[in-house]
Amino acid sequence: MSLVSFISIFISSVFIYNVILSRFLGLCSFIAISKETKPAFAMSMAVMFVIVMSSIITWFIYRFLLVPFNLTYLRTISFILVIASFVQLVEMVVRKTSPQLYKIFGIYLPLITVNCAVFGTSILNIDTFFKDGRPITGSLILSIFNGFCVALGYTFAMLLMSGIRERLEVCDIPKSLKDFPLAFIIASIISMSFLGFSGFRF
Amino acid sequence: MKINLKEFLKGIISENPTFVLMLGLCPTLAISTTLANAIGMSFAATFVLLGSNIIISLIKRLIPSKIRIPSYIVVIATFVTITELIIKAYSPALDKSLGIYIPLIVVNCIVLGRAEAFASKSNLIDSILDALGMGVGFSLALILISGIREFFGVGKIFGNTVIRGFEPVFLFAMPSGALLIIGILMGFFNFLKNKK
Amino acid sequence: MKLIVSNSPHLHSSESIEKIMWSVIISLLPSGLMGILLFGVKTFWIIFFSVLTAVITEALCNIITKKRLTIYDGSAFLTGLLLAYNLPPTVPFWIPIVGSFFSIVIGKQVFGGLGQNIFNPALVGRVFLMASWPKYMTNFITPINKFYPFRLVKCDSITSATILSLLKEKKNFSVSYLDLFLGNKGGCIGEVAVFLLLLGALYLLIKKYILLYIPLSYIITVAILSYIFGPNGLFTGNWLLSILSGGLILGAFFMATDYVTSPLTKKGQLIFGIGCGIITSVIRIWGGYPEGVSYAILIMNAVVPLIDRYTKQRIFGR
Repeated sequence: MSLVSFISIFISSVFIYNVILSRFLGLCSFIAISKETKPAFAMSMAVMFVIVMSSIITWFIYRFLLVPFNLTYLRTISFILVIASFVQLVEMVVRKTSPQLYKIFGIYLPLITVNCAVFGTSILNIDTFFKDGRPITGSLILSIFNGFCVALGYTFAMLLMSGIRERLEVCDIPKSLKDFPLAFIIASIISMSFLGFSGFRF
Repeated sequence: MKINLKEFLKGIISENPTFVLMLGLCPTLAISTTLANAIGMSFAATFVLLGSNIIISLIKRLIPSKIRIPSYIVVIATFVTITELIIKAYSPALDKSLGIYIPLIVVNCIVLGRAEAFASKSNLIDSILDALGMGVGFSLALILISGIREFFGVGKIFGNTVIRGFEPVFLFAMPSGALLIIGILMGFFNFLKNKK
Repeated sequence: MKLIVSNSPHLHSSESIEKIMWSVIISLLPSGLMGILLFGVKTFWIIFFSVLTAVITEALCNIITKKRLTIYDGSAFLTGLLLAYNLPPTVPFWIPIVGSFFSIVIGKQVFGGLGQNIFNPALVGRVFLMASWPKYMTNFITPINKFYPFRLVKCDSITSATILSLLKEKKNFSVSYLDLFLGNKGGCIGEVAVFLLLLGALYLLIKKYILLYIPLSYIITVAILSYIFGPNGLFTGNWLLSILSGGLILGAFFMATDYVTSPLTKKGQLIFGIGCGIITSVIRIWGGYPEGVSYAILIMNAVVPLIDRYTKQRIFGR
C-alpha cells in the first residue's frame, strides 16, 4: 500500500501496459470514436465512469458473495451484468443531457458493456489484488486506483489518436485508406512503438 | 413470409462486421493466429449469433427498453454457455486452443451489436438471415486474416510448414501485426468497393 | 489578406527542401564511411540496398498514386540511409530491402507522402524489423578494423554484446572513452562513430538546418536520468557512458529533429526532447531492451500533434 505501489500502478496501467496500445482491449470504440477530440474525450470519460464504478461493485460482489459461497466460476456472468446495468444508466443520462453526443456515440455507447477494457479490468483487479480468494491489504483502494489509471491510459490513447487523425484531415491520403484503414495502420505503428516497453520491471 | 436475401448478403460484403462495421476486434486480433482457431471460432460465434438473434427477435416486445441491455446479455450468455459445453464435450482440442475466448464471445461486440441494432427491431426471418450473413462475413474475415497471419507470421498452414527456409515475419503473429493486416485488408476492400 | 494553411515541413530557413535534405545526407556520410571501415565491405552493400530500395519504392508509389516523382528531393534517399545506419553490420541483405520498403510504404506513403507522415519513416522500418526478426537485428560484432587517428588497426572481430546490453545485464566491463568516441565498439552501422556524427551535426547547426532545442534537451535529460538511476544505487550512474553509447547521438541530432515529425514551436521542441529523453531512459533502465531511442522517438512523434495544438503561438490581437 506504499507510495511506490501507487506509482508503479500508475506507470504500468497508464503507459507501459496501456489497455489499448499494449493489451489491445477496447479497440472497437478506439477506432470508431477517435476521429475527433471532443467525442473521443467524452467517450473516455464515460468509459472511466463505468470502469471505476464497476471496479468497486465487482470487488464487493467477489469479496462478499462469490468467494464466501464458492461461486467464483460465476464471476464472468455476474461482472458482465453489473457492467451492463451501469452502461444502461450512463446511456439514459447521456440521452437526456446531450442528444447530439448520444447520436455521435451511436451503437458504441451500449457497446461499452462489451468493451473488453471494462470487463478485462474488473477481471484483472481480481487476479492482481486477491490471493487465493482473500483480498490483499488495501485491495479495494488499489483496485479503484488501478481502474482509474486504466481509464487514464484509455483516455491517453484516445487523445493521442484523435490528435493524429485531426492533423491528417488536411493531408491527401490515398482514397482507399482514408479514415479507418489508416487508423488501423496508425494504431499498429503506435502499438509497435509500445513494444519497446516489453519486459518492463520496476 | 417474404425472404429478403439482401439481409443475408449485406453481412458478407457491404456491412461486413469486421471490415465495415468494425465490431468484434478484440477477439479477432487474439484468435486469428491460426486457421484452425479461425474455423473453430467461426462456428461458435455464428451459432451464438443465430441463437441470440432468434430469441431476441421473438421476445423483443416483452423487454422494457430500460433494461434491454442486461436482458440481451442474459440471452447471449445462455447461448455461449451452451456452445462452451458442446465444444468441451465434442472437441477438447478446440476447447484447449480457443481457451478463454469461448466464454468471451459474450463480450464479442458483434453479437450484442446485432441484437441491439437489428434483432430488437426486426422480424424473425430477417433476424435469422442477418445472423447468418453476419456470421458468414465474420468467418470470412477471420479466415482471411488468420490465413495471412499463420502463413506469413509463422510460416505454416494448419500447423504444417509450407515453404522451407522461409523466415516468417514475426510481427504478424503479434496483435500489432494483426492491426496492420486488418488496416491493409480494409484498404484493399475499399479499393475494390470504390472501383465498382 | 490571404490566409495560408500549409502542412509540414515548415522550414526554419529560407532554403528549399531539396537543399536541406541533401545537406543532411552529406552530413551523415562520414559516419557511414567510418562504419564501412570499421565493419567491412558488406556494410557498404547494406547501405546501398537500403537506399536503392527506398528510392525505387518511392518511385513506384508515386507512379501508382499518379503523383509526380518525388525521388529527387532526397527524402527517400535519406530514409534509406537512416534505416541502414540503424542496422547491425551482420544483417542478411533482405533485411534492409524489406525494411526500407516497409519504411517508405507504411511509414510515409500511406499518409500521403512527404510532409504528411506522423512518424519518422526510417524508425517505423526499424521497429518493424526489430519485432519481426529479432535475432538478426540483435546480432552485433566488434569492429574488424579499429580506427585511431589516422590509421586503421586490424582486429579479431567477435560476436559480442553492445555496451548497453552489458550495462543491462549488469556485467562488468571496461571501455575507453576514446574508443566510444571514435566508434571502436559494437553497434549499428551509423551510430558508433560519435565523433563524425557530431561533426555532421555541427555543420547542420551552423547552416541552421537544425536547431539545438531538441538534441540538447534530449541528451541532457538522458544524462541526468542515467546519473540519478545508476546501476549501483541512486546518483551512481555514468552519464558520459550513457550519452556516448547506443543510438542516442544519431537519434537526437538526425532523427528526432526531422522537420515533418517534430513540433513547430521552441517550447514544443523542448517538451519533445525531454519526453524522448524520459522514455529512452525508462526503457534503458527498467525495460527489457537495452536501447530505447527508436521507440522513444516514435512514441513522441505520436504526441506531436497534441504538443503543436497546445503550444500554438498566440495570434496578434487575440
